[in-house]
Amino acid sequence: MAGLQDIRRRIRSVKNTQQVTKAMKMISAVKLRKSQERLVSLRPYADKMKSVAMSVVGRIKGHHLADELVLGPSAQAFLNPREEKRIRVVLIASDKGLCGGFNANVLKKANAFFEGRSKADVVLDVVGKRAADWARKNGFKSNREYLGIPLTGVERVSREVCDGAAEQYQNGEIDAFYVIYNHFFSAVAQEPVVTKVFPLDLDAPANDGKSSVAHLLEPDPNTTLEALLPRFVETEMLRSLLESSASEHGARMAAMDKASNNAGDMIARLTLTMNKIRQASITNQIIEIVSGANA
Amino acid sequence: MSLSEPILLEVVTPHKRVFSAQVSEVSFPSAANGYYGILPGHTPVMTPLGQGLIYYVQGGEKHWITAFGGFAEVGSDHVTILARDSETVDEIDLNRAESARQRALKILKEAQTETDLNGAQAALDRSIIRIQAAGHPGGHGF
Repeated sequence: MAGLQDIRRRIRSVKNTQQVTKAMKMISAVKLRKSQERLVSLRPYADKMKSVAMSVVGRIKGHHLADELVLGPSAQAFLNPREEKRIRVVLIASDKGLCGGFNANVLKKANAFFEGRSKADVVLDVVGKRAADWARKNGFKSNREYLGIPLTGVERVSREVCDGAAEQYQNGEIDAFYVIYNHFFSAVAQEPVVTKVFPLDLDAPANDGKSSVAHLLEPDPNTTLEALLPRFVETEMLRSLLESSASEHGARMAAMDKASNNAGDMIARLTLTMNKIRQASITNQIIEIVSGANA
Repeated sequence: MSLSEPILLEVVTPHKRVFSAQVSEVSFPSAANGYYGILPGHTPVMTPLGQGLIYYVQGGEKHWITAFGGFAEVGSDHVTILARDSETVDEIDLNRAESARQRALKILKEAQTETDLNGAQAALDRSIIRIQAAGHPGGHGF
């Protein structure tokens, strides 16, 4: 009989948990929609920006006068790759857990990326509490921490992070700029990626025939590059932040959906056990009464 | 692609794709060299975008789009505008632009600090561009 009470209590508790996970799932769905909208509206701009930047940089690099141009900090950062000794990395994870493998995956990626590098040679910026915790645990001293960033704050963060990155390159403080984040494919599919923002990898194939056209850069190459490239870095950063945000909510939604289903299964199982016990006890009582009457 | 309208004009901002269609003529403000007029077969150019009005000709009619900084990339058969902010005439709220203009004028008169002054001047410029754009749906050019 004691078992019956316990199981009833257990069912009630699982039901409560299921309600919480269901609510979290719905909240994540709403947040996912918002992040996704923002991301989808940014993507055409970011893609165009990337193809334009690639084509200009590729052009200048192949130009016979390239050596004679006096380049500003951004153009140098994009055009003159050098051996990567010190690197700047922005690691993007989430503030909260309960989102499946979202944080674990991106941090695993970060572990693999940093393996074999001296910690002193990494200038690390972290976004999200989980990333900050990871940095502390692994002995990185993070340069800047961005915690609890709302969706409306991503633009400010991307501006702040990218501010002065090109100058750091020029001063020899860093040799490359990387971002590690979760790329958003769909609500159920995210993948951690490492992207290099600059110097640009020009081996990557240009995605359309247009990029082979030689552009006049007006009013002059330097002014144009110094206006374009910082915007490009900022846009890439903004895109990474939004990809990560959409991925997080997608991952949480999937995790909470699974949790709700599991809770449902558990309730079904417990209810079955409960009914069996109940039935067994009734049967027992009947047998007792019948045998008592017979006696 | 229709032969009479051989230029693909695309205007995108970080927030949305403002415009994308075939047109026959485009004009946009650059940051340094004034307005560029683009006809089919223009030499490829890339330049920072200024503030002002973009116009395009479609079906023989001029249409206006605002532009607030960014980038323009021109090819023989396309113009790509990567604007910081931009809107078509339909999206402009004339009342809001007008009240923004009044507000900016008021601040300009009373401004004490350089930052206030610059901010108000920028706001004034933006509101005037919007009012101009809303003012001529098919009107005169520059």
